[in-house]
Amino acid sequence: MTADGEKIEERHGPEKPCDIPADWKANIIAFACHYCAFAAADLAGVMRLSYAPNTKVIRLPCTGKLDHIYVLRAFERGVDGVFVAG
Amino acid sequence: MQNDKYCETVGICLKEDLVLTERSQEQDTRNRIGSVLVVGAGIGGMQAALDLAGSGFMVHLINDEPSIGGTMSRLDKTFPTGDCAMCMISPRMVESSRHPNIRMHTLARVSRVEGQEGNFTVTVAEKARYVDADRCTGCAACEGECPVKVTNVFNLGLDKRKAIYALFPQAVPNTRAIDRDHCLFLTRGVCRKCEKVCDANAINFEDTDKEYELKVGSIILTPGLKTYDPAIRQELGYGRLKNVVTSLQFERLLSASGPYSGTVTRPSDGGHPKRLAWIQCVGSRNAHNANPWCSSVCCMYAAKQSIIAKEHDPEVDATVFYMELRAFGKDFDKYIDKAKSNGVAYRRAMISEIVEDPQTKNLLIHSVDEAGRMVHEEFDMVILSIGFEPREGAPEFAKTFGIETDQYGFAKTSKLAPVATSRPGIYVAGTYQGPKDIPETVIQGSGSAAQAMALLGESRGSEIEAVVLPDERDIAGEEPRVGVIVCHCGVNIAGTVDVEKVAEVASHQPGVAHAETIIYACAPDGQQKIRDLIREKGLNRVVVASCTPRTHAPLFQDTIREVGLNRFLFELADIREQCSWCHMNDKEKATSKAIEIVNMNVAKTRLLEPVKSNSVGVTHAALVIGGGIAGMTASLSLADQGYGVHLVERNSVLGGLLSKVRRNLEGDDVQAFLEQIRGRVERNERITVHLDTTVEHTEGFVGNFKTTLKDGAAFDHGAIVLASGGAEYVPTEYGYGSSANIMTQRELESWLAASEPKAGETFVMIQCVGSREEPANYCSRICCQDALKNSIAIKERQPEAQVVVLYRDLRAYGLKEDYYKQARDLGVLFLLYVPEQKPEVTADGNGFKVRLDGKVLGGEMEIDADYLILSTGLRPQEDALQLSQAYKVTRNADGYFMEAHVKLRPVDFPSEGLFLAGLAHAPKNLEETISQSLAAAGRAGTLLSRDSLTVSGIIAKHNRDICMSCLACFRACPFGSPFIDEDGRVSHNEVKCAGCGICAGICPAKAFQVNCFRDDQILAMIDSVTAND
Repeated sequence: MTADGEKIEERHGPEKPCDIPADWKANIIAFACHYCAFAAADLAGVMRLSYAPNTKVIRLPCTGKLDHIYVLRAFERGVDGVFVAG
Repeated sequence: MQNDKYCETVGICLKEDLVLTERSQEQDTRNRIGSVLVVGAGIGGMQAALDLAGSGFMVHLINDEPSIGGTMSRLDKTFPTGDCAMCMISPRMVESSRHPNIRMHTLARVSRVEGQEGNFTVTVAEKARYVDADRCTGCAACEGECPVKVTNVFNLGLDKRKAIYALFPQAVPNTRAIDRDHCLFLTRGVCRKCEKVCDANAINFEDTDKEYELKVGSIILTPGLKTYDPAIRQELGYGRLKNVVTSLQFERLLSASGPYSGTVTRPSDGGHPKRLAWIQCVGSRNAHNANPWCSSVCCMYAAKQSIIAKEHDPEVDATVFYMELRAFGKDFDKYIDKAKSNGVAYRRAMISEIVEDPQTKNLLIHSVDEAGRMVHEEFDMVILSIGFEPREGAPEFAKTFGIETDQYGFAKTSKLAPVATSRPGIYVAGTYQGPKDIPETVIQGSGSAAQAMALLGESRGSEIEAVVLPDERDIAGEEPRVGVIVCHCGVNIAGTVDVEKVAEVASHQPGVAHAETIIYACAPDGQQKIRDLIREKGLNRVVVASCTPRTHAPLFQDTIREVGLNRFLFELADIREQCSWCHMNDKEKATSKAIEIVNMNVAKTRLLEPVKSNSVGVTHAALVIGGGIAGMTASLSLADQGYGVHLVERNSVLGGLLSKVRRNLEGDDVQAFLEQIRGRVERNERITVHLDTTVEHTEGFVGNFKTTLKDGAAFDHGAIVLASGGAEYVPTEYGYGSSANIMTQRELESWLAASEPKAGETFVMIQCVGSREEPANYCSRICCQDALKNSIAIKERQPEAQVVVLYRDLRAYGLKEDYYKQARDLGVLFLLYVPEQKPEVTADGNGFKVRLDGKVLGGEMEIDADYLILSTGLRPQEDALQLSQAYKVTRNADGYFMEAHVKLRPVDFPSEGLFLAGLAHAPKNLEETISQSLAAAGRAGTLLSRDSLTVSGIIAKHNRDICMSCLACFRACPFGSPFIDEDGRVSHNEVKCAGCGICAGICPAKAFQVNCFRDDQILAMIDSVTAND
């Protein structure tokens, strides 16, 4: 059994909800349209609005460009949330 | 007289025998200067500048504020779509500032104009900015240090700014300016704190005012507006009562970048107001202490503000006190209906006083309701819908340019030549020509650009410089050698993010050949450093980690291209706007986020490949569909610009609906004008007129269309103008057709030409016949003007005749309000009716009895009428559906063609190469049709001026080998670029592609991949950013 196989094995049972540590912050990937949401993220900076630093923005030419596989890959790789804005 | 002026200003000589004049004109056209001065950089000025710059003219764009943007940059959202104003205008501002053919002159005014059309010498006075725009990085460190607080004029006094400031957060140029009237050093010789804190050494107290001359062939005036000062009307309490604000102040209160970050806040106590009232026509439609004209936009912006206020806080109760709802534009009535269905209360009442409760600072308004009862209401805040006035210093402005103004100070134009001023070669657009909204301003911007293009056509390209670049280096087969440049941006990034660490981590990423930091990457020395590094280290891809790619990527792309790297081998990692500026309180986390941002961009950049931009040729001719005044005006403008035109008209004569109009409201002889235009079209060698036929088939794409007509004629062309017109509604209401004494307004106009109204005769006009109710639930815009025109004509010829107009809202918008007043002064009676209780008409001998539930007199009334006049509106042309299918363009719910964007692309279709003008777009009057037709010709001319069209780099690439032709892309693409080819399979027309990637997202076979946003590149970013989890 490979290491990967063991991992898959573990996921068979229903996930047990674990306690959320007090300092836990969701790790989020945002897919943002170049023309609107990405511009809004820029404006937040220009206005020096503060938010948690655990959101990373990936720029798309349009949110219509979003592919299912991006969302699946993000969750598969362990992000806690995907934010699509456009 | 006005017709002569029209012909004079467009450079055409009416008398055909003056061959000598034409010859000397021909000689003269070659000596005209191929540059244009645009005075005022609001949305109208930017439109004119971008159109001209895009078609090979050098443009000098002058603005007296430190940033371009104008009034629109102050707005929160726009009606009727609720789009964010800044999101729309910001890309235009960036484009204007970066266009190689546009020179921006901010803080500048024109002090003298000499010469004549084709060859003006303009003296420009430019104020000292005291900040070097080339060095300033827009970091705002200086603002933090500046000790002087000044009333913020941009936010209309709602907050303070510093003496060193940017006009607004998204200002262009993105650089500060020092307010010399308030700067401590410039007024008292002490301080210089900004200078000490500026690492970019951008502060220059030695800066002085400059005066210089520019040589231009034409001038376009777009200086914008001033708003009415409501303090003059003391009874409304503005300036005295804290919770009374103007509508423009309310825009800033709604705006996310406004003084309260978009939380609507009550000035007296900072609370959230729940009961809001709008008072309409403050400063408008009132010759006493205010302006007599209607400002055209206030009804709509009040509806917008009330809707948005309720979106911000659903508990808001909104009440609008109005005199008349002037929702006369395309889809405007539907927007008012939306406001009403959202719970906005509309009250027809004039407000004479606002009283403040001294304890609560709430505001009391007394009004009379429709039943005549007195109503007392309390509000938390009152918004005054203030109107427009000519710009500040309008008389001096007009004098400087040597143009005539009307009695109110607006630039004087003819209704038949709406963008031509009294001085040849000088054109006008926007609110300086009369009150109007954003799309009409944009239309006139493009229209005035078209006039300048026609004037200077021969000199196109003479003033611009072509950039010579080295050949691109072939990097095929090379391993990625990515260079990472991390920018300090002074302390903007480096003050929060450990930039050295970011560069250090980046240097260990796969494929990275070199990484280092730089103080200011965008400064001239920074860019030289990047060019040197590419050469020295043999870099074949570059990542700059600094500010936003939206404004700065083109700059760095130019930089790497200058040393032979393909522009698309570049990524900009945004670690300022999206990292250091948002996470100043947590330097450690900000640094880790910056590392992640840089690494994911490196991961993407490794996979970047050069993009070759293909280009296609352009056929320098246009197809114009429709031979009415719209089609003819567009054809003449295109021909004057130097392009061939095929004008197709289904009837046997040119003229369209205008053939039935004798005069316009302002009294111009429309038939004489039409005759002239028709003659000019028929005589013009560049225009081929195809009568009695329609389009059989058009194929091809932007720049390269091929059209066959039903009569067999076939030709190539590069652009299409759809000016297919509208149709007059033939009424079925009120017994039309049963008596010769029941006429439409158009028929009355002809009747008046042949007959005399007699003393004692009564003409009853009924407005909105077949308009503003199902199945045509929209305003036809022209019927109120027609009623005023004919009422005035009757009364002037026979004062003893009686004219009664039964109306719902008298939509005499803009300067047409004068004619509404004139009609009232002449004794025309205006009586209100509501659609639920329409007038009832019964035949009575040769005449009629008209019964009406009299709203004003409070009881039923009966009028004996000799003539019944029906104000009928407009309908879409019957072939509109067929055309929409043939050209794949959409129509709105009422059947009129939809433009690409309601506000900023009013004459473009979403599909490239197609343009729109006239009644095919929506009901409008002659003046508006001419403006829009010029605009369509200007936009088409911008396209036709090019020898080739370069396909944008960021487009979808189609792999036909793995495509299954499932047609998912074909259905989803908004631009119609995937098509079914001769093999019956899907192919892709890259010229039409806008690079949105909807096809790539939807394609099950992944046969579409967007350049620089390929799936493997995006997945590499996801994998990189999740690597440590």
